[in-house]
Amino acid sequence: MAFDTKTIALIVIALIIGLAIGYGVAAVMGGGAATTVTVTPEKKVYTIGFTLPLSGELSSIGKIWEKVVKLAIEDLNKEVQAYGFNVEFRSVILDDGTTEEKALQNVQSFAQQGIKVIIGPAASAQVKAVKSYVDSNKIVLISPSSTAPTLAIPNDYVFRTVGSDAGQAKVLATLAYQEGARKVVIFFRNDEYGNAFADFLKNYFEGMGGTAVKLPYQTGLSDYASEVATLASKVQSEGADAVVLIAFDTDGANILSHAAESDTLSSVRWFVSEGPHGAEELLSSTVGRFASRVRLFGTRPLFIANPLYEDFKSKMVQKFGVEPGVFSENLYDAVKLAGWAILRAGTYDGEAIRTALIEVAKTYYGPSGWTIFDNAGDKAQQDYGVWAIIPGGPKGYQFKDVGLYERGTIIFLEQAYS
Amino acid sequence: MGERLIPGIQQAVMNAFQYTLFYLIFSLPLTLSYRTTKVINFAHANFITYGAYVAIFLHGVLGLNNMSLAVVIAFLVTGAIAVINNVFVFTPLQKRGSSPAIIMISSMGLWIAYKYLLYMITDVAHYYTTKNFVSYGRITYSDVPRGSIGGIEFSQALVASLVAALLIVALLYLLLEKTKIGRAMRAVADNPLLAEISGIPRSLIVNLTWLVCGGIVGIGGVIWTSFSGAITPEVGDSMILQVFTVGFIGGLISLLRTGIGAALIATIENVGIAILNTYFGTPVSFRPFLTFATLITTLIAFPPLGAGGGLPYRFLRRGSKK
Amino acid sequence: MIGFDVVGFLISWLTLFGIYAILSLTLNLESGTAGITNFGKVVFYGVGAYISATLTTYLILMLNGVDVSETPPYDIRGVILLSELGKKNPLLNIGLLVSSLVIAFVMSGALGYLLTYPILRVGPAFVGFTLLSSGELLRIFLQHYEPVGASKGLMAIPTPFEWVADSRVREAAYLGLVLGLLALTYVVTHKLVNSPLGRTLRALRDDEIAALCLGKHVPRIKATVLFIGSGFAGIAGVLLSYYLTSVNPNMFVPAVTFNVWAMIILGGFGNLRGSLLGAAVITFVDRILTFVTPQLGITIISPDYLRWVVVGLLIVVVLLVNPRGILPEKPIKTPALDVMWEELRGESK
Repeated sequence: MAFDTKTIALIVIALIIGLAIGYGVAAVMGGGAATTVTVTPEKKVYTIGFTLPLSGELSSIGKIWEKVVKLAIEDLNKEVQAYGFNVEFRSVILDDGTTEEKALQNVQSFAQQGIKVIIGPAASAQVKAVKSYVDSNKIVLISPSSTAPTLAIPNDYVFRTVGSDAGQAKVLATLAYQEGARKVVIFFRNDEYGNAFADFLKNYFEGMGGTAVKLPYQTGLSDYASEVATLASKVQSEGADAVVLIAFDTDGANILSHAAESDTLSSVRWFVSEGPHGAEELLSSTVGRFASRVRLFGTRPLFIANPLYEDFKSKMVQKFGVEPGVFSENLYDAVKLAGWAILRAGTYDGEAIRTALIEVAKTYYGPSGWTIFDNAGDKAQQDYGVWAIIPGGPKGYQFKDVGLYERGTIIFLEQAYS
Repeated sequence: MGERLIPGIQQAVMNAFQYTLFYLIFSLPLTLSYRTTKVINFAHANFITYGAYVAIFLHGVLGLNNMSLAVVIAFLVTGAIAVINNVFVFTPLQKRGSSPAIIMISSMGLWIAYKYLLYMITDVAHYYTTKNFVSYGRITYSDVPRGSIGGIEFSQALVASLVAALLIVALLYLLLEKTKIGRAMRAVADNPLLAEISGIPRSLIVNLTWLVCGGIVGIGGVIWTSFSGAITPEVGDSMILQVFTVGFIGGLISLLRTGIGAALIATIENVGIAILNTYFGTPVSFRPFLTFATLITTLIAFPPLGAGGGLPYRFLRRGSKK
Repeated sequence: MIGFDVVGFLISWLTLFGIYAILSLTLNLESGTAGITNFGKVVFYGVGAYISATLTTYLILMLNGVDVSETPPYDIRGVILLSELGKKNPLLNIGLLVSSLVIAFVMSGALGYLLTYPILRVGPAFVGFTLLSSGELLRIFLQHYEPVGASKGLMAIPTPFEWVADSRVREAAYLGLVLGLLALTYVVTHKLVNSPLGRTLRALRDDEIAALCLGKHVPRIKATVLFIGSGFAGIAGVLLSYYLTSVNPNMFVPAVTFNVWAMIILGGFGNLRGSLLGAAVITFVDRILTFVTPQLGITIISPDYLRWVVVGLLIVVVLLVNPRGILPEKPIKTPALDVMWEELRGESK
C-alpha cells in the first residue's frame, strides 16, 4: 500500500512540477500574465477566443500569427476607444497543435467559458471537425486560412476571411501561361489543399490552351529527394517547360533544395503557390540561387500596394521583428471584424453577432482589402499578388511582391530577375 | 544508358547511393547497440534529430557553419544522451529483471520526452533569435568540398556522407575485430554472464557501446542537414521506420546484412518507385507504402531469429499439433 | 472569465474519456494482459471510424434518392445535402448507428484476427512494428482511395441524435451512448480477464514458451484476443466519427496509439480499472490545460510540448518505480479463487 501512495505522490509531484516550470518560465520570460490593464468599473470586457497552430505542422506560421493577434487586439482597442466606446477586447489564445481533436477541445473550452466568437482554426480539416459544434451552439467561427472548397456552405456559423483556392489557381494558371509555359507538371501535396488546388489549376490551364500533368506526392516525409527525382524524369519524359509546385513551407523548401541539384529541373520555369511564402527555409542560398536560375514566381492572396497592408507590415516588423507571413492580414482583419461585429450586435449573443458580422464586413476595408463575404460566408473579393525570391535583406535573400493579377492578366510592377 | 528506359534513372541511382550511405550511418549503430545490449531503443530516432539540431543551433544561434565542429559536438551530445538513457533507465530496469517489452516501452517514453524537449528548446531559441527552428533550411558548410568528377555531381552531402560512411565502416570493423575493447563488446553481446565472469567490465563496455552508437548516429544527423531541404524536430521520427527496417533485414545481429539492407531499402525507395511510376503509373505518393510493405514482408518471410523472434513456431509443422 | 459552464465541461470531458477508455481497456487486454505489444491500435480505431462515416453518409444520401455517383458525400453539394437530410428521419439515424457499431466491430475485429498471422512468428518488438506498419499502410491507402474522400476525408456526418432540437440534450444523450458502450466493453474485458482464459493470457505474457509447453493453443488465443480488442477499438472509432462529425486519414496516426499506451502504463498493466484511471487522468489534464494555459499570457514555450514531455517522463518514471502502475494487478477473480479464499479463512478460524 505504501508503494501506491509513493507512486501516486510521485506522479502528482511530476505533474505539478511540470506545470510550475511552465508557469515559471512563462512568467520570467514571457512578460507575465495576460494583459493587466487597469480596468475602470464601467468598462465592458469582451473576450475573443483564438485557436492557433502554435505547435504541429503549421507552427511556423502559427507563431507569427500569435504576434498578429496581439497587434490586432491592441489596434482594435485603440480604435474602439477612439470612437468613444467604453469597452475592451481581450484575447484568449489556445494552441491546437494543428490537430482536429485539439481544435474541438479548444472550441469546447471557449464555449464553456461563455465565449461566443472564436477565430481559427487554421486547417480546413480542423474547421470540419468543429463546424458541427459551433453550428449547434451558435458560436461565430472565423478562420483566416481555411480554403477547402467543401466548406463553402451557406447559412452556417463558419466564416472565412480568405478567398477560396479556386481563385488563386486561376491566377497561378494565368501566371504560368503568360510567362510562356504551355506544358506543365503540377507537383502537389496529396492532401485536401493540394488536391483541390491541382484540380482547379489543371482546369484553368487547359482552358487557356495548355496541357497539365498531375503528380501528387505524399506529405509528412522526412525528405523528398526521391519524389524530386521522379518529378525530374516526368518533366523530361513529358517534355514539360514548367513545374507548378503546390506545397507548404517544409516540403516546399525541401523540394526546391533538391530540385536545385537536378539539371533537368533547373532548366524549366517554376511557379509556386502561397504555401511556402514567408518561410525562412526558402531563403537559404541553395534555394535563392535556384530561384534566380529558373526565374521562380509564386502567387499569394494579397492586395498589393494597399497602404493599409504596408502599414500593417511595417508595424509587425517594428514591434516584433518579423515579416507578416501568409494569411497574417486575413487574420488581422478577422479580429477587427469580430470586434466591430460584437459592438454592432449590441448583445453578446451568437446569433446577433453573426448577423452583425455580415453587415460590418460589407463596408470594412483592411490590410487584406475588402472583407465583404459571399453567400457561403467566405471572402468574396480576394486579390492576388505575385512574389519572387531576390538577393538582399538580412538573410541574404528575401521575398518580394513584384506583381498583381488584374482582370485576367498578370501585371508586373517591377523586374524581379535580370 | 538506362535513360531511355526510365528517364531520370541516373538521378534515382545517385539518390539510392546517397541514401545507402545515410542508412548505413543510421542503422549500423542500431544493430550494434541491440546486439550488445539487447535493447530495442526507440530513442534511436532522437539521436538523428539531436545530431541535426546541434548543427542547426550552431548555425542559427551562433552563426557557425563548420561541419567538423558540429560533428564533434553532435557526437558528444547524442553519445551522452545514449549513456544517460542506459545508466538511468535501461540498466535499472534490466537489474530488476524487466522483460524486453517493458524496456522497449520505456525507450518509447524517453523518445517522446526527448522529442518534445527539443521542441521546447526550439521555442526558447526562437524567442531569443526570432528565427524559426521548427523548420530549418539546408546548411551550406564552409569546410566540406564539393564539385563534379567525370560528370557526376558531388554535393557536400555526398562527400561528407561518403567520407563518414567509409570511416565508420572501417573503424567499426577495426574496433570489433582487432581491438581488445571490440572483442569485449562481442563477448558481452554473445554471452553477458560469461563475459562478466571472465573479467570484462560489463557495464563499462555497455556504456561505451551506447556512447559510440549514439554518437555515430548523431554525426549522421549533422550530415543530414547538408542534404535535406528543410529539417524539423520530426526528422528522426520520419526516418526511424526505415532505419529499423534496415536493421531488421540484418536481423539486428549481423552488421553485414544490415549493410545489405541499407542498400536494398535505399534502392527500393528511389529506383523502385521510379520504375513503378514509369511503367505502372503508381503515384509517387505511394513511396512510404513500399517501405512498409518491405518491412512487413521482411518480418513475415524472414522473421529475425536474433531478436527474440518466435522461436517456437519455427519448428512447428502443420498437422503435428492437436 | 465570464462564467463557467460546468455541465458542458463535464459532458465534453466525459465523452472523450469514454472513447479513450474503451481504447485503453482493449489495449490493456491485448498488451497488458496478453502481452501482444500492439503499436497499431490506431488502425482498428480508424477502420471503425471510416466504416461509420462511409456507411452513414452514403446511405443517408442514397436512401433519400440522391445519386451518389453524381453527388458523392465528399463533394460540396453532397455536404450541403447531408446537413439538410440528416435531421429528417430519427429512425434512420439510429438504425445507421446500430449497424455501424455492429459492422465496425466485425470488420475491425476481422482485421485484428487477420493480422495475428504475421505477428505469430515474431517477438514483442516486431509485433509492435508489424502492427504499426500495417496501420500506416492502411492510412496511406485511405489517403488515395477516392470513394472515402481520399485526403479530404468525409465531413458533415449526421450524428445519431441529429434530430434532437436542443444541443445540450443531444450532447447528453450522446454521452449516455458512449458511457453505455464503455460499460459494455468493461464487462466483456473484465469477464475475459477474470477467467481461466485470463490466466492463460497472463501466462502468455509472462512466458510464452512455457504456455506453449503446457499445451495452450497460443495462435488461436492470440487471434481471439486481437479480434475482441480490435472489434471494440472499432466501436470507439465509430463513436469518434460521430463526435467529430468528420474523418480524415491524418487523424489516425501512430501518435494516437502512443497516447493510449501512456494511459495504460499510468494505470497499470493488466489492471482494467487502472486503464479507466489512466484514461481519465490524461483526458482530464488535457482539458484542464486548455483553461489554465491562457492564464499564462503569451508563453515562450507551448504548453502542449510540456504536456508531452511530462507524459514521456511519466511513462519512464512509472516503469522505473512501479511497472504495475498506480493500481497493481489484482489476482484473477474466478470462482475457484473465491473458494480458495473461503477455505483459507475457514481454516484459520
